[in-house]
Amino acid sequence: MSERFIKAISTDEIAPGGMKAVELDGNEIVICNSGGKYYAIQRRCGHMNAPLDMGTLDGIYLTCPMHCAQFDITNGEALSGPVPSDIGHEIPPPFLGKYLQNIGMLMKHVRTESIRTYTTKLEAGWIQINIK
Amino acid sequence: MSKSLVNIESRKKSLHYFFEKVVGPLGFKFTSDEDLMNFLLEQEVILESKHGIPFCPCQPLRNDRARDMQIVCPCIPFHRKHFDEIKRCWCGLFIHKDIIDPDKLPQLPPKEVNNE
Repeated sequence: MSERFIKAISTDEIAPGGMKAVELDGNEIVICNSGGKYYAIQRRCGHMNAPLDMGTLDGIYLTCPMHCAQFDITNGEALSGPVPSDIGHEIPPPFLGKYLQNIGMLMKHVRTESIRTYTTKLEAGWIQINIK
Repeated sequence: MSKSLVNIESRKKSLHYFFEKVVGPLGFKFTSDEDLMNFLLEQEVILESKHGIPFCPCQPLRNDRARDMQIVCPCIPFHRKHFDEIKRCWCGLFIHKDIIDPDKLPQLPPKEVNNE
């Protein structure tokens, strides 16, 4: 498949350890600066589509802000699924309890998939992304 | 728990990365016994795949969230006094930074340390 690099953002726009979401040709992408190296991944979490740029980047590991699933930004590999949340000790009202039970039942079947990565290159201070 | 397609070796590597950041400032390091370390990290990945949380592989889950959260690896802050006394954590994944040979460490039950 032929390459198609698109100019995304200037390197000045992301500090080391930072992330920035962009949309290129209809693709939602997050550009990550991991210690001066730039990686591009799909913006949507492989678990439940949360925007990953709102998560946390630590080295090459990105944690989703929604359920804390983790991914390796160098290859998009899913490293862990969602972390179970604590709803506390109080018994919720029946309607809410039923709702949470249904959500929990559905979530058991949601699989955490690895995410897509994109090749990046630097040219004249710009990060370019191959969207093919 | 939600299903996930986790590669055990990749997850072990990332757990090692995150745990090292936590235990270092607490005065601990990973055990020098690499076979033991690999075995324990693998068990944690399996537990995490099942429960969503990397619990300590050598402690039983009690189905009591407050107690179970005290055995989430690295559980050093919750059992600090005991671990400082025995110079390692219960399963031996972490040892005090000044320990070279973890096999020579004494085993003391929590009651003897008088804090648990």
